[in-house]
Parts: sequence; structure tokens; C-alpha cells
Amino acid sequence: MELHQVRYFLAVANTLNFTRAAEMCNVTQPALTKGVQKLEQELGGQLIYRERQLTHLTDLGKAVFPMLERALASTEGVRRRAREFRQKKVAPLTIGLAPSISASLVLEPIAEIRKVVQGLNVELREESPSRLVELLLEGVVNLALVGDLEDKPDRIDDWALFEERYVAVLSPSHELAGLPVIGMKALREAIILDRLDCDVAPKVHRLCFPDALPHYNHRSSRDLHLQHLAAAGFGIVLAPEHMPRLPSLKALPIEGDPVWREVRLLAVQGRRYSPALDAFVKVARLRDWSLPAGSPLQTEQRGHLEASGMVARLASPIS
Amino acid sequence: MNIELNLAKTLNQVRSKLLAGLSNTDREAYTHLVDWLRKTDVASGALQVGDTAPDFLLPDVHGRLHSSEHLRGDGPLVVSFYRGGWCPFCNAELRALQAVRAEFDSLKANLVVLSPETGDLPRRLKRELSLDLTVLADVDHAVAISYGVLFRLPDETKAHYARQGYDFGRRHGSTEWMLPIPATFVVDQGGIVRGAFVEPDFTIRQEPSDILNKLRQLAGSQSDEPSLFHE
Repeated sequence: MELHQVRYFLAVANTLNFTRAAEMCNVTQPALTKGVQKLEQELGGQLIYRERQLTHLTDLGKAVFPMLERALASTEGVRRRAREFRQKKVAPLTIGLAPSISASLVLEPIAEIRKVVQGLNVELREESPSRLVELLLEGVVNLALVGDLEDKPDRIDDWALFEERYVAVLSPSHELAGLPVIGMKALREAIILDRLDCDVAPKVHRLCFPDALPHYNHRSSRDLHLQHLAAAGFGIVLAPEHMPRLPSLKALPIEGDPVWREVRLLAVQGRRYSPALDAFVKVARLRDWSLPAGSPLQTEQRGHLEASGMVARLASPIS
Repeated sequence: MNIELNLAKTLNQVRSKLLAGLSNTDREAYTHLVDWLRKTDVASGALQVGDTAPDFLLPDVHGRLHSSEHLRGDGPLVVSFYRGGWCPFCNAELRALQAVRAEFDSLKANLVVLSPETGDLPRRLKRELSLDLTVLADVDHAVAISYGVLFRLPDETKAHYARQGYDFGRRHGSTEWMLPIPATFVVDQGGIVRGAFVEPDFTIRQEPSDILNKLRQLAGSQSDEPSLFHE
């Protein structure tokens, strides 16, 4: 398989027109057709139905398209990155985070790509998973990290990054804080601090509180506010294990670890990856997510920032 | 030199031993794949000596990014494609490269091995084989395509590996089952390919001693000073 063959195929796939594809690739139509045919031979099947009025992708063409699109973007991204580096262009990257995903998760990957992408401007945006999918398709958000996601359009690429459990976060002076594990009965009797708009709440209710909703006396849409309430002894926060905590709080496992979820990375298929997006996706697909989400983040200052769950615009470099 | 010869011998010995241990089914699948690769002439599109090697930016097993421009900043770059941690021939090659790693350092050459696998697989392989090599993940096979060594598994081979429990879609984070032909390229500081070993028979790998000899030739040809290295 050769790069120019891939480029020809993607040009046809994107235009569904051999003449326009040849113009885009700056080659003659016979040369383009020959390149696509050679690729078809190597891939063991037809990629494109060539009909007079209707040129369209075969099932094989549809199957290989997303991967080849990303591969070409990656290759071209290296050249683009060098060019943009010279031109000192701004490289925006908007990352969508579901409410249950802490910004702490993306800090290390962002810091890594900032080393190679000049002018990186990151925007972090918190929305529900379904809204994030809409924003991805609209091109407002470049990539998103979500937990469980029920309906995902075919056009969304989706990589499972890691699994994590939910834990009980509470003050060391809480009456349950001395236990090694919080039992289900004790949890159902305790006051739980309600995270408004939490995407994982239905799952928590189903698995931990099947008969009656938790005792929700206090609530907030900000994780940081809930943590302050917990630190003051107002109740327990149920949080994903990666979530940074105020130093004044402790986390305990829940009996039987009933709630687990997978953290997933989403991006849109068939959309040209920018160098920043390409680099982020690569780093995300390789890094060891099982590491504690940056123990330095557990300091009070970073904890405040990261636990806030706020939509954050990082205009200045992360130190 | 003796060490290199011994290692080369070991690599060959391992190959012979692994080939002798193949079951009839495995041997059939092996023969079928190699015949198919030769018939379709997949390797004909691979980079050759004198070609410009496309640059790349890939993550290592810790998610740190490495650019080829930087990797060849102080000396030649050796790019070795392997098929994955499930392949015993690849693992034998990685061990052999690990054994002469210091030789690469002394020649100021950077050796990187490119894996088509993602997630924690390259990390686990490094740990299990105690590798101190730079293992990069060729995410979505972009570099294998640009070096002309990627192919899509024929249906018979795919069925064979699937029966053995290998799910390359999951291992690569992709729906399509593709693999690189194992290959080794020596790229000079200017980004020009100075050595290319591309062998459709995936049981045959370039001997580490041959790679080192190529690097010595390169060092000799690029220096006006008498070479510090002896053949």
C-alpha cells in the first residue's frame, strides 16, 4: 500500500467524482484510476462502485475509509505542523468533557502536545455526553472524553481508554470514615451530595439505590462545591476514582465496587485532523491511564482548579 | 564482532527452532501468507535506498511524542517495523536488537521499533521482554503506509489468526486487520534512506550485525576523519 494510492482513494471517497478527485490530486484521471485499482488489488476487493451516474463506496471502501483518513491526516499533519510552527499560527483545540470527567485527565496529554504544537490554544468545555456528540458533529468540539454513551452515530470514532470505579468521598470526621469499605446498607442510609446534571447518576441509582433514591439533601452542579460540603461534614460525594480531591477529604471503596464505567475518547470520522488533534488522539491512545491522575494534582491549589468542573479556557500555557 | 556473530547465530537459531515447532495448520497459514505477499508484490511499494523517508510524529509507550526529525538530529535513525507482541519471530528480533543496543549508541544512531499495536500492549511487551529500546506506536499505521510496508490481511490469514484468538482490530484500535511487513530502514541525518531491508517472509529479519555494518559504512562515508569503527 502506498501513500499516493491512499490519497487518490480518499479524494474519490470525499468527492465521489473521479474527475474532481484527479484535479484535487493534481494527476491525470487515468493515473488516479490506476492508483485506486492497485490499492483495490492489495486490499483484496473493490473500494468504489463506478457507475455512470452514481459513484459510491463499497462496504470495504466504507470500512477502510476512517482508518486511512486518519493515517493520511497524520502523515500530512507532520508537514502542516512544521509549516504552522514556522508561521507561528494559532492551533486551537476544543476538548469536550462530560460532567463526570475531570479536567485533570487531559492535562498531561495537553502538556505533551504543547511541546510539539506551536501556538496551542486549548478550550475545555463541559456538556452532557449527548450534547458533546452534537458539538462534535457540528465541529464546535474537536474531541470529547465521556463515560458511558448509549447512542453513538456511525460517524463518531470511539476508543475505550480505561475503566474506573466509583468511590465514596467524605470527610475524615464522617461517621463512616473509619470503615475500610462503605457497605451498601450504610450508603443507602447516608446523606449523598447530589451532583446536578451528572451523566452517571442514572447508573448509580440503578446499581446502588434500586428501590429508593438516595438521601439527597444538598446539591450543586460544581464538584468543588460538593467537595467543600463533604469536607464540612454535610454528606458523601460519589465520584469516579480519578477525580482529584481536596486534601481534607478521603475516598473509600463501596462494598463490591458496584459502579464501574469506561472512559472513552470520541472524535469525528472523515474530518481532517489538525496537528493538535492528531497528536492528542495518538497520545491518548497510548498513555497509561491507570496511573493516578497526577498525584501532584492532589495539592489543594490544583485540587480546587481541577475539582471545579468548570468550563475552563486555558489561554495561557499550563505550568 | 564476535558478540554480533553470536547474536546473529542466535537469531537464526531461534528462527529455525520456531519454524520447526510450527503445527501443520500454522505452517500452511505461514506458507499461504508469504506466497500471497510475494504474488501481490506488496513489498514493491516500499521505500528504497535513495528515497526520502517521510517524517513522522509518534507516541512511545508512555504517551510521549517523538519526531523523526529530532530522532535523526544527532545521527542516523534506524526504523524497524514489527508485527506485534504476539509474533514470536518479532520478539526474537527485538531481543536480538536489545542485545546490541549499546552498539547503536556508540554509533550515535537512534533505533526505534514501530508497533502497530496501541493501548497498553506495547508497554506490556517492553516490560515482558525487558526492553530498553524506544518502542513507538504506529497509530493507524500511518508510518507503515508512508514507508510502503502495510498490507491488509487476506481473508484466509485473518481467519487463521482469529481462530488462534488474535483480534488485530482490538489490538490496533481499528476495525480493519492490517499488518506491516517486517522491515528495517536506515535513514541518514538528512532524511534519506541509506539501507532498506523489506522481506515478505516474516520469519526472516535483518541481522543486527548487518544493520550495524550499514551504520558503520554510513559513518565512514560521512566523515573525512578516519573511521573509529572497524568492520
